Amino acid sequence: MKSLQKVQPTDHELLLLMFSGDEDAFAVLYRRRQGPVYRFALQMTGNTVIAEDVTQEVFLALLSKTAKYDAARGSLASFLYGVARNLVLRRLEKTVEVEDSAGPEDILDDLTRRETIESVRRAVLSLPPVYREAIVLCDLQDTSYEDAAQVLDCPIGTVRSRLNRGRSMLAQKLAVRV
Amino acid sequence: MKELLKALAENDRDLEAPVAVEMRLRSAFRRKHARPRWPYFAMAAAAVLVLLVYLRPKPQTMEIAVVTPPVPTIRLARPVAKKVVHRKPAPREVVTEFYPLMEDPPPFERGELLRVSLPASVMRGVGLPVSEERLTEMVQADVLVGEEGLARAIRFVANRP
Repeated sequence: MKSLQKVQPTDHELLLLMFSGDEDAFAVLYRRRQGPVYRFALQMTGNTVIAEDVTQEVFLALLSKTAKYDAARGSLASFLYGVARNLVLRRLEKTVEVEDSAGPEDILDDLTRRETIESVRRAVLSLPPVYREAIVLCDLQDTSYEDAAQVLDCPIGTVRSRLNRGRSMLAQKLAVRV
Repeated sequence: MKELLKALAENDRDLEAPVAVEMRLRSAFRRKHARPRWPYFAMAAAAVLVLLVYLRPKPQTMEIAVVTPPVPTIRLARPVAKKVVHRKPAPREVVTEFYPLMEDPPPFERGELLRVSLPASVMRGVGLPVSEERLTEMVQADVLVGEEGLARAIRFVANRP
């Protein structure tokens, strides 16, 4: 692993080392990829405990090879998002949908940035999951449409239409012009 | 709208999973890749097994020559009473139960049973009583070897008349 500190190894190289038992390689890979997975889960659920659990389960699945990553089918990041998405959707089925408590009048009254951000977060969380995941991936996680399509297992056109629909729903909720 | 989403993305940009998650995952990683703690007798059995596999005599090739049979000569002879051969009954094989050689073996799919000779001390390793003076005696055993080459279990064989 000493050489890994000098040059940035690819995800694939780290995976090979990891599967051969190199714990440092696993740690490097985890630190590189855990942030987006955690944020995705958090922005999808609004719950730090679930986000933490999902992040752990995603990497446990990678370790145990229960979810097999195939480099030919896409990037590791997309793969991890895909596993996280399945776990998140499973959790969302069990939890009550978040009520949209951010009415237009509330937004106008939200003067501080912090409050505005939390209002947006609540509005995102109140979207149906199918639109929420498109917004979270493309607008919040800055994932490309191609990668998002792979994660969501749908054509790029569907990603675009879900994004548009999600944004307009958000705009309605926030009473802000797009 | 884009500005608001951008503000949320910026706000969350540095959010990461708690360090405890990494600790738990690293612990799981170590458990997964921990070398199986083979007991002494398993190591001994494996070593002997390897030796036996390499040292066992190779089957000899037989050359078959075509020989013209001699022309039989016919003689009249007095009938001879057949000899009655009293053969000893084949010894009955008695086996013990299988004793595991690995603490946490991977799932078993296929494998084979190998008959080997081992020092009796191996029996003591699995908890069977063996007196001190017989520890160096060789005993027969069947070792169950998985297709991945791991010796998984052992049973001991005794021949009773």
